Amino acid sequence: MGGDCKPLDTRRGLNTRIIPPPSCQSLRIETKFMKLTGLLFIVLCATSTLVPAQHTEAGGTSATIRALERQWVMAQSHNDNRALDLIFDNALVYVEYGKLVSKGEYLSRVKRVSSQSDTIGMEPMTVRTFGNTAIVVGTYREKEVKGGQSTIRHWRYIDTWVYKKSGWVLVAAGAAPLSN
Amino acid sequence: MKIVVSIIFLLCMGTPAGYAQAMLDSGAESKIIALERAKLHSSEAKDLGTLDTLLDNAFVYVDAEGKLLNKPQVMAYFLTVSMLQFATETMAVRLHGDTAIVTGQYRMKGVERGKPFVQRNRFVDTWLHKDGQWVAIASLSTPVAD
Repeated sequence: MGGDCKPLDTRRGLNTRIIPPPSCQSLRIETKFMKLTGLLFIVLCATSTLVPAQHTEAGGTSATIRALERQWVMAQSHNDNRALDLIFDNALVYVEYGKLVSKGEYLSRVKRVSSQSDTIGMEPMTVRTFGNTAIVVGTYREKEVKGGQSTIRHWRYIDTWVYKKSGWVLVAAGAAPLSN
Repeated sequence: MKIVVSIIFLLCMGTPAGYAQAMLDSGAESKIIALERAKLHSSEAKDLGTLDTLLDNAFVYVDAEGKLLNKPQVMAYFLTVSMLQFATETMAVRLHGDTAIVTGQYRMKGVERGKPFVQRNRFVDTWLHKDGQWVAIASLSTPVAD
């Protein structure tokens, strides 16, 4: 590359356009420019795949996450699957009653359950943030009415939220029954 | 030279960022599974040094009875249980950038205060890529539904 400075072969058939051969110096400049461009591309390509987008948020994350937790409960109590769809990441994993539930399964269950039959009473929660990740730990009481009889269950949960392009989304949630 | 630059350009554009990402993801997934196994082995062996490196200082754990434990409490718990054995049944990793979610099932048996116990739990673990290494920041276990 960039060794001999020979005139360019412009013969391409009948409608050949004659291009005057560039000088040796201009060829070298072009070659250097090409090399630099090539290197720049490599660097750009490498960094674009390896360096994740950074997100910095000055405070307020905890309040945002708490608000989302409340929105989740509110949306669920109103069977508002549209709101839940925005709160939940598509790859959400949810462990409930010892079963692993996907986002689709969770939403279809919310659709089936009558909004009157279950009520959730949220209790204090703590939010820990780790950059683009937030962990929520808290407890809630769930009142379920079945066949005219109500049962109250007490749960402790851990929710994991991740900041993505669309904002904070719930990526994992699990609850364990609290033995009193 | 133009051809070389074009090839580089095509490689960069054509090497789908997704492919490179998939390669990185599969590497991270196997690493996290290995770390999960290391976490269980170090718990069985009461290897608190290894556990200390695997668990973030802000690590929180909710056990199958709904008890909330922090990192020192988790480490202290493993010291109280003898003949602890874990058997992982399933494990799946989902990556979300620097965050990894691991779900699975395990069987746990041991002797606590002279009483033998057996548990079969489902778990959800959250790992974070922090300062160049993966650390567990949260974990929850709940009894597997029959």
